[in-house]
Amino acid sequence: MAAHNPLKSDTTRRGERTEILMFMPSVILLALISIFPLAYIIYISFMDFTISVDSPVFVGLNNWVRVLTDDVFWSSWGRTVLYAGFGLLVEMIVGIGVALVVFQLPKGRNLVLTLWMLPLFVAPVVAGLLGRFLLNSTYGLYAWFLQLLNLKVELLGDVSTAMAAVIAIDVWEWTPLITIIVLAALQSMPQEAVEAADIDGAHYGQKLRLVVLPMVAQPILVALLVRSMDIMRFVDVIKISTEGGPANSTKIVGYRLMEVAFRFQDFGAAAAIGITMLIVTIVLGKLFVRLLMKGGVG
Amino acid sequence: MKVHSGRSVIKFIILYTVVIILLAWALIPIFWMVQSSFKTQAGMFSLPPKLFFKPTFATYGYMFSARGGFFRFILNSAIAALSSTLVAVILGAAGGFALARGRFKRKKDISFWVISTRMAPIPAVILPLYIMFARIGLLGNIGSLLFAYTTFNLPFALWMMMVFFEDVPVALEEAALIDGCNKFQAFLRISLPTARSGLVATAVLCLMFAWNDFLFASVFSSSNTQTIPVAASLLITQQGIAWGQAMATGTVIITPMLIAGLAVRKYLVRGLSMGAVK
Repeated sequence: MAAHNPLKSDTTRRGERTEILMFMPSVILLALISIFPLAYIIYISFMDFTISVDSPVFVGLNNWVRVLTDDVFWSSWGRTVLYAGFGLLVEMIVGIGVALVVFQLPKGRNLVLTLWMLPLFVAPVVAGLLGRFLLNSTYGLYAWFLQLLNLKVELLGDVSTAMAAVIAIDVWEWTPLITIIVLAALQSMPQEAVEAADIDGAHYGQKLRLVVLPMVAQPILVALLVRSMDIMRFVDVIKISTEGGPANSTKIVGYRLMEVAFRFQDFGAAAAIGITMLIVTIVLGKLFVRLLMKGGVG
Repeated sequence: MKVHSGRSVIKFIILYTVVIILLAWALIPIFWMVQSSFKTQAGMFSLPPKLFFKPTFATYGYMFSARGGFFRFILNSAIAALSSTLVAVILGAAGGFALARGRFKRKKDISFWVISTRMAPIPAVILPLYIMFARIGLLGNIGSLLFAYTTFNLPFALWMMMVFFEDVPVALEEAALIDGCNKFQAFLRISLPTARSGLVATAVLCLMFAWNDFLFASVFSSSNTQTIPVAASLLITQQGIAWGQAMATGTVIITPMLIAGLAVRKYLVRGLSMGAVK
């Protein structure tokens, strides 16, 4: 349509040029911080750095073979699935539940939400320290509570409970994120639909399933995707609270990468591990963008 | 709400009981940390917990003395976080505006690129950066942290500013264009001031992501450029953990972020859902 009007087409082109110029600095820096490291990590995965960081030797698929035949690599991915799977499941259920509870409150909704979201601002390193302090079996407050119930365990130091404990720390910190997203969606729901269901005499369960949840399904999916990408990003809590132990029981893949790279100085193998992590992020990112571009969220 | 009917009263009681339990779960750790930071070493470990005690400032006194070195750590954290925020927000505002207004053919691909850069697992980013920094001698330099934090803050700021500029009516800019502004001037004088609260929220979140980072700083910083989360982690030693200092350090780390986060509360949902939910 612009082509029919020479004047308009001219301004459009000039406008686009401004926008390209405004976008350029970001693109250049973004390329430097994303494409360059990506290309570099692929390169590293084919090189051996053990002799010298400055003059690595090409080793072909050697690093890849070593990583893909390494049991610890696969078990660390297994634990990542467990960690992320259970963490996200609890966060989604509790987060949505809390949003529904807060939504029901006749008074004090804002205050309750404000207090509930405070853990979101806590640095993961502090969350890890707090977990360690509270769960310590000799002087931890939570361990003391558990002892009153006759449960005397070192939760972070026992193979059977350490994973659950680090998941609980993640749940403590990030469940409020799900709550605030779902609550925002609930509050923007058209009131008429809910009221119509009231008049029809639907009880709470029906109303929830048939009217409310379909309306907040998209934001819930967004929350889930954002959290799944983020739960893969961090290993801070595990690094501080368990260091992957005891007996590897909390060694998720991100932690394994850090260990292979910076304890064993085996950069090539670490790079191969990193690429497997990036592939998962890329798939999740694709899903997220596809969901957003469909529109209709929020 | 009909407070008179029996069912409503029961519902009311159940709801608020649940709320109290939830808030206890969320807040006890934070409360306990802050309280412990004002206790003596002996008082900190005494259980059952005492709610009332004579607070001591000894731990903070030591930390902020020359030997504790905390001013240094806070300064390092602040420099790294502020500088990366500044870079991210300036470039992000210009680039986000261009993304919101320009008719780029591959907008979907650009969006995907930005999102996946933002969401890349930190260990997988640290590794190539570490080797690059080692080769160019940037390890231990505060510049390495500026660069590292920009890897997540720039894509975040770009994306958020795109979302916020999409909310600014194009008609405002068109009016400015008719008045003789060029497009960049319209951006600077009309759109940017209109989107300023979004800009502030984006900046605060960038600041928080960088301030709260531990992993990048644990690998890239040296004793001179140590940030405060790294200082916190170093209190864990083979001999044990200096819990008084750990709790005080934790309190120092979270206090500015609690204040900043609550200040931009209105925009948190947008920011933390990558703009997907208002």
